[in-house]
Amino acid sequence: MLEPLLGSKSAERILIFLFAREEGYATEIARLFRTDLYGVQKKLDGLEAGGIVVSKKVGRTRLYTFNPRYPLLPELKALLQKAITFYPEKTTYPEKTTEPLLMNRRRPRRRGKPL
Amino acid sequence: MTQAELAAYVHSELEKAGIDLVLSGGAAVSIYTANKYQTRDVDLVATGFTTHTQIKRAMLALGFRNVGRHYEHPDSTWLVEFPSGPPHVGGEPIGPVEVINFATGKLHLISPTDCVKDRLSAYYHWQDRQSLEQARLVAESRVVDIAEVGRWSRSEGFEEEFVKIAPLFERPRR
Repeated sequence: MLEPLLGSKSAERILIFLFAREEGYATEIARLFRTDLYGVQKKLDGLEAGGIVVSKKVGRTRLYTFNPRYPLLPELKALLQKAITFYPEKTTYPEKTTEPLLMNRRRPRRRGKPL
Repeated sequence: MTQAELAAYVHSELEKAGIDLVLSGGAAVSIYTANKYQTRDVDLVATGFTTHTQIKRAMLALGFRNVGRHYEHPDSTWLVEFPSGPPHVGGEPIGPVEVINFATGKLHLISPTDCVKDRLSAYYHWQDRQSLEQARLVAESRVVDIAEVGRWSRSEGFEEEFVKIAPLFERPRR
């Protein structure tokens, strides 16, 4: 839905992902959408250069979030909020995802606890 | 060549190529505080619809080398970057810019008041105390419209935070 506007499927996926989960790293995003990691990394780079997302290293992972200083962030989030409601299941991205976008585990899990 | 002279040189040369820029970020803090705060970065933000290709062409013509997102020059230790424009502080466009003339050219830079807002934005969002200190240093060195900073803070949703830090910006009575 946002691809024609953003000019990129990867950009749509990344923004939807960050909107739904607030933060994410390239491998996680690529895995969820079963897509090419390089394409996601390259697009994240572009979004960061454009000031839309920011990143920081957490251990060996580069974690991305929306840039709270991006001047159009409230409007962008409003657009994403509306876009996400158009998908068939509100909690799941419509394509061939491996897990629901919104229903991932967020609560802590003690180290060593069996799955 | 100092950081400010380099910024003025790049600013003036790119202006000749039709690219209007405003200095922002840490280099503006550095200029306003007479180098009490120092950074290697020179962040120049385009004010109009300038493409990366236009900037790259102009910078390469000046002898700079494009390395990732910044530009380096063999005769300089400073790194020149062109963050995405137009220039803004939080959700608002910047106000009138300052103009300073150097031997190497003319430099447009964000005003001391916008510079303080820019630093406070980083403090508000990321609790970055270095940015708060830089804001304080700018306010100590230059005339800053603290009432305007307060209005902007409220508009950004950080009124409570501003009330807490406002005493840092009070000037001693003479």
